[in-house]
Amino acid sequence: MAEISSGSAQYIYVCTRMRVRRSQLIPREDYLRMLNMSLPEITRFIEDTGYKSEIDELATAFSGIDLVEVALSWNLAKEYQSILAITPGELMRFTASYLRRWDIQNVLTILRGKTQGMPAGKIREVLIPAGALDRVFLDRMLAEDSPERVVEALKGMRLYPVLEREFPRALETGSFARLENELYKGYYERLLAETKGGVKGGRVFKGYVQLEIDIRNIQNLFRLRAQPTLEDVREMMIPGGSFTVDELQRLSTAESRDEFIDGVKKQVTLPPLLNVLEDLRSERPIHEVEIALTRVQLEQMDRVSKRYPFSITPILVYLEQKKYEVANLRALARGKEAGLPGERIRSYLVM
Amino acid sequence: MALRDIKPTRSELINIKRRIKLSERGYNILKMKRDGLILEFFKVLQQAKDSRGAMQERYARATEMIAIADTVEGAIGVKAAAFSAADRPEITLKSKNIMGVVVPEIEASAVRKNLAERGYGVLGTSAVIDETAEAFEDLLESIIEAAEIETTMKRLLDEIESTKRRVNALEFKVIPELTEASNFIKMRLDEMEREELFRLKKIKARSSS
Repeated sequence: MAEISSGSAQYIYVCTRMRVRRSQLIPREDYLRMLNMSLPEITRFIEDTGYKSEIDELATAFSGIDLVEVALSWNLAKEYQSILAITPGELMRFTASYLRRWDIQNVLTILRGKTQGMPAGKIREVLIPAGALDRVFLDRMLAEDSPERVVEALKGMRLYPVLEREFPRALETGSFARLENELYKGYYERLLAETKGGVKGGRVFKGYVQLEIDIRNIQNLFRLRAQPTLEDVREMMIPGGSFTVDELQRLSTAESRDEFIDGVKKQVTLPPLLNVLEDLRSERPIHEVEIALTRVQLEQMDRVSKRYPFSITPILVYLEQKKYEVANLRALARGKEAGLPGERIRSYLVM
Repeated sequence: MALRDIKPTRSELINIKRRIKLSERGYNILKMKRDGLILEFFKVLQQAKDSRGAMQERYARATEMIAIADTVEGAIGVKAAAFSAADRPEITLKSKNIMGVVVPEIEASAVRKNLAERGYGVLGTSAVIDETAEAFEDLLESIIEAAEIETTMKRLLDEIESTKRRVNALEFKVIPELTEASNFIKMRLDEMEREELFRLKKIKARSSS
């Protein structure tokens, strides 16, 4: 009995709750309707859809479009924390590991802000405590008087070995780029390591992470190829996906876009990804390429979650979909504020 | 120069003639300088028009890109990426000489950066940040270029204005006044000569009678 309650029953419980939460996400039709709304109408719509408590809570500190954006981020953080609270055992471990990317983002923001001498209040506005480091811990880091002390405060945590190795160099060179890349590579390495050892659901989780790594590497190759001076991209590629780092380096040096896409297609088997790669042969802004590839990733993850309805994937798909709901609402509000045409805003939405 | 203050002497006449010659030479040189500066100004004006146009285009692009970055990444994402900017561009001010006018020559370093120099990692950001950073680097570059050209244009204009004032002063005031003074002295000297001649004749007539 104990075996059952700690195994499949928990999967069914959590995945069912995720399905319920997914059904509450804003549907595509509402985004299309919002494209024709004015900014105050969008703000009212956001208030009516479950972001009200955050908007009310933050209304004294922020106003206008900043209030909308910060409220969306806070809601995202709160939602992720509540998912961690209801997810048991192995699922919780996978989910918490997956959410650690937010810790990397927050730690880097604090380190950069501290190095540049930014006031703590300014840095706090930019933090999204959606990972394992909660708001209290982040506030403690913010109270430290130097970036070195911030690193010391992370001693014993997962990020510390990379920080200990790379931070002195970052301070010396004044650039956190390498440190950031190493932290994200460490994050994916750790995620893949967790899927080993015959853990239940590990295989599905591994497939999910590898797809994400592949998409990220392809996106970055498109991005790096647009840079005229970069020769060695190995340091910026994430190992562990379908491509080795050397293969990615070879692809980055392909003479033409067609040659590059042909090279990628040789190793990709996913039909939707093949179709999108074919579409990307024509020149277009890199951020549109990224959005097209992100859409493929989400659709594929959605398909996998339907194939394995009681696994880690429904949780991860919900996390991603929630992230993109927040990103879409933010895009709509920011796009309307900037006066971008509806069609243009629509091209940035991940629906 | 009031005529009553002029001493009608030969030495003064020589002095004034020398000054007229000098003024006329100065007038010709300044007129040539003014024409040269105007030619130079029209060249710079074309460059200024081009650089202003390019700057406006780049400003529109940068504004559009920051709006897109705010839309795609959110202001939070853009601010977090902006924390990465470690190196500030440095501007070195030199000067060059265009027909005696000292104009600035601005050299900027570390304006345009590649991905590795911008300070943010590739794995934690998206391409829209690169495109926005690039748009602002372009804008900054054209602001520096426009600043150099427009300051040159302003200094040339000031110099043309003051040269024109000097040419006009020489043409319509200094040279006519000196000529008038010279004529006056000549007339006075002639008159004095005639008076002297008359006096001598009178003395001669009185002594012979």
